[in-house]
Amino acid sequence: MDRVELSIPSQVRFERVVRASAAEIARACGFSNERVEDLKLAVSEAVTNAIEHGNRLSVEKLVDVVFMLDGETLEIRISDQGAGLERVDFSRKLVDEHNLDTGHLRGFGMYLIHALVDDCEVSSSPTGTVLTLRLYRKDIAL
Amino acid sequence: MNEVIRREEFGDLAVLHINTSSVDAISAAAIEMACADMRPITVLDFAEVSFINSAGISALLKFVVGARKAGFKLFAMNVSPHHQKIFKMVEMSRFMPSIEERDLTAFRS
Repeated sequence: MDRVELSIPSQVRFERVVRASAAEIARACGFSNERVEDLKLAVSEAVTNAIEHGNRLSVEKLVDVVFMLDGETLEIRISDQGAGLERVDFSRKLVDEHNLDTGHLRGFGMYLIHALVDDCEVSSSPTGTVLTLRLYRKDIAL
Repeated sequence: MNEVIRREEFGDLAVLHINTSSVDAISAAAIEMACADMRPITVLDFAEVSFINSAGISALLKFVVGARKAGFKLFAMNVSPHHQKIFKMVEMSRFMPSIEERDLTAFRS
């Protein structure tokens, strides 16, 4: 199993570091450009959530990211050190007239994550939340 | 001066060229600033943009809100196929349809 680990402080600017790493790793694994773009966005949303909602921008708390390639699966595990989540909503969120008129212009992240990776799961406790994303190499002729 | 947005105006038309590769939480504030001065036809040019996340989408939605309030038309130009897919997924393309650069020729002449 190939494994890459990163830890970043809870500052939004470091999300770009993880995103760039995700792109390089996915390319190295042979994923298509479209799948790489999908993964970049999913990882970006997950890391941003961990920084903003998990660790609440507390700079002494870290976001840990582990990339693991095992056979046909690229798994990315994003962990924060926050107080945990009560619930996770992966349901489809759309731009609509009501949201625009009421100023609800955020909240697309979890829906995009769910839609762009092959599999995702959340594990949350009072000591932190772990979001696991998986891409399967079904589109690669080995 | 906004270094993230380069602005061109042709009468009722404003073309806002987004001069950053990432429309994300870092660039969002500078992008949002430009929505304070929209024209009856406003076009956002994504030619330099290679990445947009939900923080970026939220910033772009400020333009949608501004256009709706003022009765202006808002278009997107040079949107990559990937970002067209994302805009369709969240139905943003319904409020900011794509336009071709050649459609602006009449305004620029």
